[in-house]
Amino acid sequence: MRDEAETNRAIERYGDTVRRLCMIHLKNEADTQDIFQAVFLKYLLHDRPFESQEHEKAWFIRVTINACKDLLKSVFRSRTVPLEELSAQIAHLPDQHREVLGAVLELPQRERQVVYLHYYEGYTAPEIGQLLGKNVNTIYTNLARARERLRERLGGEDYG
Amino acid sequence: MDERIRDAFASIHAEEELKESTRAVLEQARTRRRRPARALAAAVACLVLLVVGIGGYQFYFTPTSVLSIDINPSLELGVNRFDKVVSVQSYNEDGQILADTLELKYLDYRDALEELLASPDIADRLAQGALLSITVAGENETQCGRLLAGAEACTAGQENVHCRHGDSEKLEQAHHAGLSLGKYEAFLELQALDPTVTTDDVAGLTMRQIRDWIASLERGGTTVGESQTGHGHHYGWHE
Repeated sequence: MRDEAETNRAIERYGDTVRRLCMIHLKNEADTQDIFQAVFLKYLLHDRPFESQEHEKAWFIRVTINACKDLLKSVFRSRTVPLEELSAQIAHLPDQHREVLGAVLELPQRERQVVYLHYYEGYTAPEIGQLLGKNVNTIYTNLARARERLRERLGGEDYG
Repeated sequence: MDERIRDAFASIHAEEELKESTRAVLEQARTRRRRPARALAAAVACLVLLVVGIGGYQFYFTPTSVLSIDINPSLELGVNRFDKVVSVQSYNEDGQILADTLELKYLDYRDALEELLASPDIADRLAQGALLSITVAGENETQCGRLLAGAEACTAGQENVHCRHGDSEKLEQAHHAGLSLGKYEAFLELQALDPTVTTDDVAGLTMRQIRDWIASLERGGTTVGESQTGHGHHYGWHE
């Protein structure tokens, strides 16, 4: 079991990443809180050392995505997330961010993940494929489709 | 667009509240994880104590031998492996009264015997020529031998006291018949001479009466015809 200093450091370092992954998968605050806590609980009990900080970060991303998927798979929950509920999570943001995230949240879940991992975390398609356990071509396809939709929605003037 | 997306995501942060509640949950989990080990240790300790307690209780409180004391009050003293009296069982009303008046439990069997012999009830009966039979029976021959020797030493000055070795296998039959072992063995002797005698016939008799009955039968005082009138004997002993 990891000590308090270690888990506090992890919360500071990876809290935002976990929170963002929750935002693109989950529809409400309660679920976000559940997953956020569950991920760090897993970390608390995960005794094996990480090879590097990159390795640790990838672990957090994978565990968070899996936890979100498990929650969404639960038979008690609907598989589709109403847009208005998703939007509620970003309602407090400034206009320009809300518009972008609103567009991202309108994408299918698999594209949302890829957009976040590529645009924000800076992973390449092969890295994302490895991280999510998916074929790299699937990732390329997801990325291309997501780009297309976002450009339509946000206007492609900056894209290049 | 790349930059806009990056900036938008960058504006999302884990709220302080969320981090705080998570830290609290982790702290709880840490203490909860520690507790089962302690709880388990405590449970194991309790179990060990319980087993030792029950084992010790049984070890101490299980009679390994019995001393059947019969005069007319019939008592059976259960003696544990440490030669202490751990149970007192009476087999008739007189025995019950005697058991109630004397505190024999947890005494060394010799002290218990001495107290019994010194009790006014028994002392009076012995003075009047009553017979006291002490029958020792148990699974452990060594202990029985020791108890018998001890009982004989205690009663050395009493001529109407007979100490004998009983058959532990008959103990259960005796209890089934509602008799103490000493009386039951005397009954068996009597029954060998007169098959019509029942346990009910001897239940109310003193040891002296049973012994006298046996003696009279041994003298040839019975015939087939007489033996069929068991009640005749019975009433005879009350006169």
